[in-house]
Amino acid sequence: MKKHQKITLALASATCSLMGALPNAHADISADYADWDVNAALLIYNESDRVTAVEPVISAKKQIDTDESIALKLVYDSLTGASANGAVPTNIAQTFTRPSGNGSYTTTANETSLDDTFHDTRVAISASWEMPLSRMDKLVLGGNISNEYDYTSIGVSSLFSRDINQRNTTLSAGLSFASDSISPIGGIPDPFSEMLPAGDANYSTTRLDSSESKTTVDILFGITQVIDKHSLLQFNYSYSQVDGYLTDPFKVISVVDAITGIPIDQVTGVAIVSGTTLSQVVYENRPDSRTKHSLFTQYKRNFSGDVFDISYRYMFDDWDINSHTVDFKYRLKTSDTTFWKPHIRFYQQSEAEFYTPFYLSGSQPTAGTNTTFATADYRLGEMTTTTIGIEYGHVYENHSWSLAAEYYLQTSTEPSNKVGELNNQELSPDVDAFMLRFNYDF
Amino acid sequence: MNKKINTLKPEFKIEKINSGYRGCFNAMASPCEVLIEADDAQLASRITDLVANEAWRIEQKFSRYRDDNILYQIHNAKGKTVEIDEELSYLLNFSQQCFQLSDGLFDITSGVLRRIWTFDGSDKIPTRKQAKTLLNNIGWDKVSWKPPYLTLPEGMEIDLGGIGKEYAVDKAALLAAAITDKPVLINFGGDLFATKPPLTRKAWQVGVESIGGSDKTGLIQIAAGGIATSGDAQRYLERDGKRYSHVLNPKTGWSVAHAPRSVTVAAPRCIEAGFLSTMAMLKGKEAKSFLQAQDVLFWIQE
Repeated sequence: MKKHQKITLALASATCSLMGALPNAHADISADYADWDVNAALLIYNESDRVTAVEPVISAKKQIDTDESIALKLVYDSLTGASANGAVPTNIAQTFTRPSGNGSYTTTANETSLDDTFHDTRVAISASWEMPLSRMDKLVLGGNISNEYDYTSIGVSSLFSRDINQRNTTLSAGLSFASDSISPIGGIPDPFSEMLPAGDANYSTTRLDSSESKTTVDILFGITQVIDKHSLLQFNYSYSQVDGYLTDPFKVISVVDAITGIPIDQVTGVAIVSGTTLSQVVYENRPDSRTKHSLFTQYKRNFSGDVFDISYRYMFDDWDINSHTVDFKYRLKTSDTTFWKPHIRFYQQSEAEFYTPFYLSGSQPTAGTNTTFATADYRLGEMTTTTIGIEYGHVYENHSWSLAAEYYLQTSTEPSNKVGELNNQELSPDVDAFMLRFNYDF
Repeated sequence: MNKKINTLKPEFKIEKINSGYRGCFNAMASPCEVLIEADDAQLASRITDLVANEAWRIEQKFSRYRDDNILYQIHNAKGKTVEIDEELSYLLNFSQQCFQLSDGLFDITSGVLRRIWTFDGSDKIPTRKQAKTLLNNIGWDKVSWKPPYLTLPEGMEIDLGGIGKEYAVDKAALLAAAITDKPVLINFGGDLFATKPPLTRKAWQVGVESIGGSDKTGLIQIAAGGIATSGDAQRYLERDGKRYSHVLNPKTGWSVAHAPRSVTVAAPRCIEAGFLSTMAMLKGKEAKSFLQAQDVLFWIQE
């Protein structure tokens, strides 16, 4: 290792900032502003036995002026694998109809019912423009659009910030709006209608429109306070109002025998025997609006090159879900060019008031009921998740790279009203996932 | 204490030399010259006027000995926050980067060490305790600098002497180059910048004054760019045969041992050359290896 660090490049750049364009420095300066800073990342996500996602991301930022910049981001998502359809597992294999109404799939006995038709690709493009309004005021405007086979989302956002108190305090306010539409294969199911066998002539009677939409408005207020030279504290409050179609058209709820806990056969009306005929399930239904409030606080501290970062978020909504998130990161500088960053995250949420893991036969609402809400989607149930990860990175003068690995584990408590065979089954088994992310800046 | 100096409008002189014209004036306690390679007395006068006024402007603005400038405001704020203008903001940002690049060795708050170190060739060495006490008033990391707001703890001082002259050279060169494409060399007391190679020769010849007994004079040739020298043969203390250089380490408050008598560095701009030569002095006997690692032209006088 060299005894003395070469500092002339950093010094030249400091001098450029000081002097502006010196006679022989024109080329350097224009290069600084003309170049795009490009970042490429690849994310690989794998849920044990379920979804695998590969997500390349390319983002680029261009400095137009000292405090004005534009940024573009392109994301391509490729999802393959199976996802839980919401039905309960039982000790017999079960058959379900694919969302298109053509064809069916059979799940394994004693395992979570997974719909293996899950395959999708998504392309998302976003752009933002950050501009100074005055010496202390800044505005960031953004827009994004994403598209996948059956889903389209368009959004615009704005964030205004003002430095006060000798730049020790930053106040910010943001407003964003998004419009999403979904056109699922096979159309939008009628709430609580029964899934019909593949190819059934009446299949279309269980369907409403071919597409639905929702709108989201987010409002954010934040304050960031510099505590001393090395640390800062941030508080945010955000309000989110979503209106429209919030139901998941692919999720169903099992109807089980009230005594044995075995799913009912859709055709015979009694408990299934062999699993070669369709299990009785009804399509879920969620409210057409959701109001979320969230409070967020973050503390960051720099210890001579190391960065300690801890945050906490409390969220509650009118679906009766509330959640706590604690996130901790520590960036450990191991040399002038390398760092390690361990990461730990705990998340805990309560279940939605209409969370219904299954119906006892006879208690399910009749098809078309839209005043009752129910879902068996585990993502709206009670759960605790833990994420642990580590990132290693190299930072060079002109480029840098990092590799991060994360392990995610989700656990839930079982419903208390299980009957018969359900007592032998895990309705909310643990889900774990492994994620690998590679980042390259050039 | 803060006497007003230079209340009379200072002047400059122009003379014809072989290769063109030479303008002379005094600024920043140094003789200053501008060499203009053009046979145009009017242009030479215009450039010298511009360069001299820029030197005087910077001197007045950043002098510690005036009561009508921003530095006086900062030093009399008694720990209160002062809003800093754009030019000084850029200088403070640059100084902060130098502080970081030098790992704290280059520090514009180290000037208070003058209270205990007076380099008059005598043997008045301060005590280690005096130096240690003064360290409480030194350290850029004790300063809150959130552009444009500066909060300097009471008892601390900012001294741009370490970069002021070099900055003035670069700024003046910028002004000169904006009005002429003829070669111009600006020299403020040994810190200099050449806008382009001279027309008549391949390079500018710069004499380096020999110090430390020898009467050999070095000659440096540069085509274009900046040159700065740190070190001063006249400024030292000596006790019991030990020589104390005027280069002071802001982290110890003590004179740097084995510092060269002088270091001259050539770099793209004068202010870079100045920072590198100062850094080399602060590195003591490591001066040479430090400069070798920087890939710059340099001359060291031990």
